[in-house]
Amino acid sequence: MKAKRIKMLSLALAATMLLAACGGGGGKTPANNGGNSGSGSNAPSNGGEPIKEIVLWEASGTRELENFFIQNTEQAKDLNVLCNAYAPLLEIDNKGVLQPAVATEWGSEDDGLTWTFKLRDGVTWVDVNGNYKADLTAQDWVTGLEWVLNYHKNAGNNTSMPIAMIAGAGEYYEYTKELEAAEAMALDTTKFLEMVGIESPDKNTLIYHCSKNAPYFDTVATSACLYPLSQALIDELGVDNMVGMSNEQMWYSGPYTITSYIMNNEKVLTKNPAYWDKDASLFDTVTIRMMGDTNLDDQLYETGEVDQCDLEESNLRAIYEDENHEFHDQLVEKRPRKYSYQMHFNFNKLDAQGNPDVNWNTAAANENFRKSIYYGMDLTARWARDNFIYPTHCENLAYTMKGLLYFSDGTDYVDKVIEQLGYPTTNTTDAPRRYDANKAAEYRDKAIEELTAQGVTFPVEMDYYVLARNQAAQDAATVLQNIIESIGDNYIKVNIKTYVASLTKEVTGPQLHSVNNSGWGADYGDPENFLGQELYQDDGAYYSNKYSYINKVDEAEAPELIATYKEFTEMAKAAAAICDDMDARYQAYVDAEVYFLEHALTIPFNYEVVWQLTHVNDYSKMEAMYGCQTYTYKNWETSTEAYTTADYEGFLADFNS
Amino acid sequence: MIKYTIKRLLQSLLTVLVVATIVFLLLRMLPNEYYFTEDQVNKLSEEEKNERLRAAGLLDPIGEQLLRYYGGLVRFDFGDSRRIQTGVPVLKVISERFMVSMRLGVSALLIALAIGIPLGILQAMNKDKIPDHIGTAYTVFINAVPPLVSYSLILVFGAHVLGLPSLYSTRRPGISSILPIACLSLASIAHYALWTRRYMVDEMNKDYIRLARIKGMSNRNIMIRHVLKNAFVPLAQYIPASFLLTISGSLLAERFFSTPGMGPLLTDAISRYDLNVVQGCVVIYATLGVIGVFLGDVLMMIFDPRIRLVGKGETR
Repeated sequence: MKAKRIKMLSLALAATMLLAACGGGGGKTPANNGGNSGSGSNAPSNGGEPIKEIVLWEASGTRELENFFIQNTEQAKDLNVLCNAYAPLLEIDNKGVLQPAVATEWGSEDDGLTWTFKLRDGVTWVDVNGNYKADLTAQDWVTGLEWVLNYHKNAGNNTSMPIAMIAGAGEYYEYTKELEAAEAMALDTTKFLEMVGIESPDKNTLIYHCSKNAPYFDTVATSACLYPLSQALIDELGVDNMVGMSNEQMWYSGPYTITSYIMNNEKVLTKNPAYWDKDASLFDTVTIRMMGDTNLDDQLYETGEVDQCDLEESNLRAIYEDENHEFHDQLVEKRPRKYSYQMHFNFNKLDAQGNPDVNWNTAAANENFRKSIYYGMDLTARWARDNFIYPTHCENLAYTMKGLLYFSDGTDYVDKVIEQLGYPTTNTTDAPRRYDANKAAEYRDKAIEELTAQGVTFPVEMDYYVLARNQAAQDAATVLQNIIESIGDNYIKVNIKTYVASLTKEVTGPQLHSVNNSGWGADYGDPENFLGQELYQDDGAYYSNKYSYINKVDEAEAPELIATYKEFTEMAKAAAAICDDMDARYQAYVDAEVYFLEHALTIPFNYEVVWQLTHVNDYSKMEAMYGCQTYTYKNWETSTEAYTTADYEGFLADFNS
Repeated sequence: MIKYTIKRLLQSLLTVLVVATIVFLLLRMLPNEYYFTEDQVNKLSEEEKNERLRAAGLLDPIGEQLLRYYGGLVRFDFGDSRRIQTGVPVLKVISERFMVSMRLGVSALLIALAIGIPLGILQAMNKDKIPDHIGTAYTVFINAVPPLVSYSLILVFGAHVLGLPSLYSTRRPGISSILPIACLSLASIAHYALWTRRYMVDEMNKDYIRLARIKGMSNRNIMIRHVLKNAFVPLAQYIPASFLLTISGSLLAERFFSTPGMGPLLTDAISRYDLNVVQGCVVIYATLGVIGVFLGDVLMMIFDPRIRLVGKGETR
């Protein structure tokens, strides 16, 4: 009776609030709206029905879209949405294999110097309501690339790959830089076609001329830099208004139009009725709810307001350890995200006053010191913070990301690396494969002896930075601190320091870090894109120039370190020169990577593998290990019934087979 | 009074200008690196960065930049957003959020006034009795418990027991507004109940109330005609500002319920270094603040005939 009264009172209060709130109302509806999907939804295998209107979520603080112009952004938070609005030349399937999209045929007959794409007819640009605007032709790729490479139009986004690969691209970028802004903004594609290696001889043919042999160039076609842009749209909006265009002004050629965008609240993607791929399984709508508090997703999943949620450690533990919990049998492990995390050393660390941290720099240049950390870190406790059920699923032993590349016999590139490093390719135990306390102690003792002779004082202070307001990151750093300090008494002292907002501007830019964990996701499908970031004296090598600062190290002070880097660089460049035999190319890269890791120039750290509750079969999603198509909501298998642990075990078995 | 009003308006304008100038100068003290995104910091050469800063006018002498900024203010032009919504005019970014915050805020404030003031009256009329203790317990609870905790309790109760949406939705603004409004009202109800009770109890202890009682005036008449009327004067001063500042939104509640309002905009803009949006927000908040204070003074004058708005040195 009392409970009833409380409920009545609550309802009365709620009714008052409802009256106070202006605007229309509506009843609670479940997130997933089952039933027959309009166009060929994948039939779920667990007895449910395909979801027609899926509701997903993102964190509003860091993952909100800022830009609707795909050529003008390379931020994942933009591209994750925009990849649904534009049609690419090629797509990636759920096994990570390139498939035709707008291009029906493609290839190179000169070891990757010239690439020809044949485009299909019947692909169109539409407005937000799906009304026809123009045909999509090869010229739209020319217009798109011109925008990317025009210094004044594009603010430097998406330029690095075209400049590195396409003939004349760098020259055109420099040419436009020299022009007055107004003059550059007014440029059409005439001068561009004269200078840059791209042609569209007819509306269905697109040809790229590379500046070097690029046998992987077709994988670049999944990146935003090679997406189309209609000149008619530029004419309609005006060149100055392109960057600020809204979802209602832009044109669409992809599977969805963005029919609603309320910043930090929700986005609604609606099926594009004119989408070229009529066999594709699409949702009627995809709603992406933005959440200020990222811990709310579990709550929303429980109330049926979203169709998937990630599980933080505490929630995961609560569900996992209670066999009677309603979600216990629905716990499923996500597939690894596409980033391979490494612990990067800074070989030219500075202190807050800008003076070299000689003690650290001398220690980091010593191979035995690095190897003592390489073998001495038992990262199980650190991985368990993300995945306490199977911590070793987060184990990473290589530099390149697993699943990115395969030899012609189907062997994963990373498995070759692991094999050559001397570890089993699968971990059948709960113990990390690389951790070896005895080896670590051996290297530690040698390092102490050598470094003491060089005047290094112990413990060596290691500065490790985390975001100030991120408690989870600080907790994880504390775990890592314990792991590293346990390598030896009075050996290394880890100082956990914080930055306020920007790691680049506050820490890695001023070279204050001793080590930093950073994940690299491939831009295109070649080992060059991973190992190329670590080359010595190479302007395009991201980690060498921005994290390890190896190029600033005085060779006289660290001759062995520099010699190791030079040797690795030569090996990687020799691998890059092999363009006629992909197996030989990959094997040469494997050798370079193994050399790099055996000298502990970085330390492979982890993969991100977390747990979730979901109505989506992740194994049906595009397995986009490179490019910007990871979040394309196409051909997803979903179910009104939540998937179970057993369902996912079956999906994994099918996938591996 | 007209002369005084004009003078106050001019003072208000000056206040806004001073605030805008301070914010402008503070933001210009940030290192120029913050103008660029993380990617741009890594990718652009020093020469390219300088060129972009020059094109944006950020390398001009500070006086020149300030004058340009004032010129923009006069035209209500705060420039374009660089990060929050790339290339979109700041005024558009702000105006899209303005109405959402105001609608929720005004609803919450009306509920707070409708419940808080009667609750305060009830407490005052029943001082040291059960209704007073209940009201005091509520006020203490609301003030003692961190808002995030009370919001979480409301969320769990609202979503699980009543089946209300957990997040605000522009497609179902009515029903999805209930939980944010409930959260926003909680503290305001406690605030108005607390101060209404306090001012009324103060008044009830004054000599003129005792005199009224001795003269045989009924308790109801004393409460309505004297106590409440006089107790309301100091409360009235803050009501206009409370209404106007609903536009600025609530950072915590709006973020908690993913409401696309003004609340999180300023902090988002600061954390993403969208300087134009920061400047726009601060100028608007400052303007609303000074208008609120001015209207509060006017309202006090209306409720208390003894109060006259006059300039310094003039007599009432």
